[in-house]
Amino acid sequence: MIELKNIEKYYSSKGIKHYVLRHVTTTIKQGEFVSIMGPSGSGKSTLLNILGMLEEPTYGTFEFLGEDVTSLNERKRIELYRNHIGFVFQAYHLIDEMTVYENIEAPLLYKKVGSSERASRIANLLDKFNIVAKKDLFPNQLSGGQQQLVGIARALATQPSIILADEPTGNLQSAQAEEIMQLFQKLNKEEGITIIQVTHSEKNATYGNRILNIQDGVIKEDSPTQAPQMGGVV
Amino acid sequence: MFKLNLKIALRNLWKNKTSSFINVIGLAIGLAACLMLLLYVSYEWNFDKQAKKSKDVYIVMTHITDDFGKDIFTFDGTPTSLSSTISSGIPEIEFVSRVSYDQNLLIANGENSFKKTAKFADADFIKMYDFEFLSGDEKTALLKPGSVILTQSMAQTLFGTTQVIDRTVRFQDKTDLKITGVVKDAPSNSSNKFDYLLPWSEYGKVDKAADDLSWGNYSFNTLVRLTENANILDVDNKMDRLVKGKAKWNHSPFFLFPLSKLHLFGKFENGKSVGGDIDQIWLFMGLAFGILLIACINFMNMATAKSEKRAKEVGIKKTIGATRKSLILQFLTESMVLTLLSIFIAIILVEGALPTFGNLLNISLNISFVEIKSWLAILGIVFFTGLIAGSYPAFYLSSFNPIQTLKRKIKSRGFLSINLRQVLIIGQFCFAIMLIISTIVIYKQIQFIKDKPVGIDVNALVDMPLEGELKEKFDLLKTNLLNSGAVSSVAQSSISLLHHGRNFSGLEWQGMSKAQNSILFNQVGTAYDFIKTSGLKLISGRDFSPQYSSDTVSVLISSAAAKIMELKNPIGSVLKFNKTDVTVIGVFEDYAWDSPYNANNPMIVYFNKDNSENVTMRLNPKQSLQENVSVIEKITKEINPAYPVQLNFVSSSYDKLLRKEKTLGILSNLFGGLAIFVSCLGLFGLVAYSAEQRTKEFGVRKVLGASVASLMQLLSLSFIKMIGVAIVIAIPISYYAMGKWLNNFEFHTEITWWIMPLAAISTLLMALITVSFQAYKTAKANPVDALKYE
Repeated sequence: MIELKNIEKYYSSKGIKHYVLRHVTTTIKQGEFVSIMGPSGSGKSTLLNILGMLEEPTYGTFEFLGEDVTSLNERKRIELYRNHIGFVFQAYHLIDEMTVYENIEAPLLYKKVGSSERASRIANLLDKFNIVAKKDLFPNQLSGGQQQLVGIARALATQPSIILADEPTGNLQSAQAEEIMQLFQKLNKEEGITIIQVTHSEKNATYGNRILNIQDGVIKEDSPTQAPQMGGVV
Repeated sequence: MFKLNLKIALRNLWKNKTSSFINVIGLAIGLAACLMLLLYVSYEWNFDKQAKKSKDVYIVMTHITDDFGKDIFTFDGTPTSLSSTISSGIPEIEFVSRVSYDQNLLIANGENSFKKTAKFADADFIKMYDFEFLSGDEKTALLKPGSVILTQSMAQTLFGTTQVIDRTVRFQDKTDLKITGVVKDAPSNSSNKFDYLLPWSEYGKVDKAADDLSWGNYSFNTLVRLTENANILDVDNKMDRLVKGKAKWNHSPFFLFPLSKLHLFGKFENGKSVGGDIDQIWLFMGLAFGILLIACINFMNMATAKSEKRAKEVGIKKTIGATRKSLILQFLTESMVLTLLSIFIAIILVEGALPTFGNLLNISLNISFVEIKSWLAILGIVFFTGLIAGSYPAFYLSSFNPIQTLKRKIKSRGFLSINLRQVLIIGQFCFAIMLIISTIVIYKQIQFIKDKPVGIDVNALVDMPLEGELKEKFDLLKTNLLNSGAVSSVAQSSISLLHHGRNFSGLEWQGMSKAQNSILFNQVGTAYDFIKTSGLKLISGRDFSPQYSSDTVSVLISSAAAKIMELKNPIGSVLKFNKTDVTVIGVFEDYAWDSPYNANNPMIVYFNKDNSENVTMRLNPKQSLQENVSVIEKITKEINPAYPVQLNFVSSSYDKLLRKEKTLGILSNLFGGLAIFVSCLGLFGLVAYSAEQRTKEFGVRKVLGASVASLMQLLSLSFIKMIGVAIVIAIPISYYAMGKWLNNFEFHTEITWWIMPLAAISTLLMALITVSFQAYKTAKANPVDALKYE
């Protein structure tokens, strides 16, 4: 599904190149649950941004679904966002002026999904995440965990094939974090959605089935997770 | 999507109450000012354009040149013979009619008598315009001598009804006229307004010259209506051929000018229109859109100031599939919603302010809400405003790159954005300062003209028309008035002391060179006590006096006249005036006869007891004004019972001459004030927002020991600097522009040095108050509140 070949990213200032990523080459297949780990400043977020086409690599090629997407124009990129990619952010990034319902609806409106289809999909998601009662509340009326649930519901609304999550539990307490990770695992196992997450926590990484360990912009280790641990299902 | 955008726009408005309030109020004021000025502009613009074929109606203009073809002046007077000469032989001319200037004449139904505006015209005049006849036959209108057409309101005033066909009215207390028609009142922005209309044949009874077919008396208008798409140059040429030779002309001095353009383009040089009041219209348009622009700038500034907050939203939306187009649409929706809200308030403001505004300008304005056209115009303005106000934020905000905004890398004070915002604020205040300076200069000019000695003592000076019985019984009137003690002196004259354009050329004097023959002189015919009554200052010689029988062939001249004629010893000089030799018996100091702004033409005051139209009286200062006036009214009414007494204070006539400049002063004052207010409103919004953004920074600084003053300085200084730049830019521009404006007047004040610092300091002060109010509030806040906030 994703093929990175020799990805490099650097910033030059005064003729000196500061590398963020070097020689990153990897393949991620459909249905994988990959955790990118590494210390602060190692380049893991940059790698995720490149995967999300939010940043362009300085060098190298990136193929998504067999198509070269190394540098895409805005329209094509938005097309991919609408159909294939869902984002989940550490700071949730819900739209403050919209209710829970409207936040989930927004991507469907941009995708121009018909109104009855829209309603049924949202009802389905609200139901699945147990937030039906909260649908008319605004983000600032929810707890962090609830906000992140809405964020995930929004990412799933367009039925993407891949979810990119940047420290999805970074702002959450451990109980809520666990809930979110189990949700991810379930989505990956039951619906076959590819998930790539950036995380600091060893524990969160174990929910996935592969870990990319990055240090100083280089992939140091690429290993399957040991003893996949099945927690309770949400 | 649109519905959601709308919903979010409304929520945003509600959530940010301060900035919404500032935006809505600012825009409402801007829109209201714009609407009012545009109403005025459309009133002026539609002058004489109401009739269906108004664009084919032309007025014949006369271009007077001297013997060498040099331009003297151009005006709309024509002789009586013109219309009959051109009525045949020019196929393009459909209708042609002589039309009188407005005459304020007496019309009565029994005891019910009024002086109202009369017009005299030929029958074609009715056909030229689509007058709406409420009753009577329009085909025979103006054909019969002794007939009259009333307007609806005139009929109401005289009879209390419009069913007045075949009834009679008494005209000038002399003749009975039969009413043959009632027409709807003409709109007030029309030069063919009248209260009653009479056939030309009646004109002779008022002014004998109207009966003669002459080529010498230019006291009448000639209107023509041409066939559609007629070539005016062709018609002018044909007219030239028909007229040439009638009065020793090499070239006919006549040409056609569209009547609908005369009002705004009525200034002529060399027989060509070179503008006129249209300049003022452009000025008002500029003001209207200037104020609106200031309000739009407020909106833009507030929107871009909030870019940090909005940027996050843009970033999120882009990652969930929003295109730039949909974001632009969203931001435009927001500005449209805001503008729509503002226009409702604006319409309420306009409705409230319009009567006062109309009074200031001396016209009646109103928005006709029944007409689709006005709604379309209002919607057009809303759309235009929403687009202008929303475009910059829309394009600027929607261009944000999602990753930068989500990582909060976007700098709220990005290099370009802060610069543009600064430029906009500087622009706003430039405009405001220029308006303040203009206001001061205009008022100074008005004051200058007011304070300039007019040359006569206008206080306690009244005049009234000499009409009806008064004409024959002037001596009786004079004796009675003087005996009553109400007046100290009375004089008769051919026109009032303050009059416009009664001039002549062709005066001859000893030692003149031929070329000077074309110099225009003003002329007043009078009898005894002219100097005494008017209070003119005699430089040498004496007033007319019954003691000298030779005074009937004597004249008084102004000092300007003496100068032009280069008379060393003016008293006793003999001039040739009206083909008779007259002797100069006195020289008086110049006075402002028709315009206080220019040096007036040199003036000749001649002796003529018989063509007086005006009585001037100097009131007795020992008695109260009211007493004097009521005595004069009683005496006049006794002698001349048919006419209402029309006393007019000469000083108020002078005030009227300043009206145009006063209007300008009021407008620039009013709109200058609004501009400052709206600008300060915007500034307040920006400071409030920037204070909110920097609450935490201020808290930290306070904990570190910053004083209130230093914090205030931190917040205000950048804004005050911008005002400083605006002052530096605005002062030279307004100095130049107002200097140019003042040069329009021959007598004008100077732009004194103190005007500039006055305008600068007052603007700075207002901005400072606006800014420091908010800055103080922020600086005084408890740092704990700021720091626990996260």
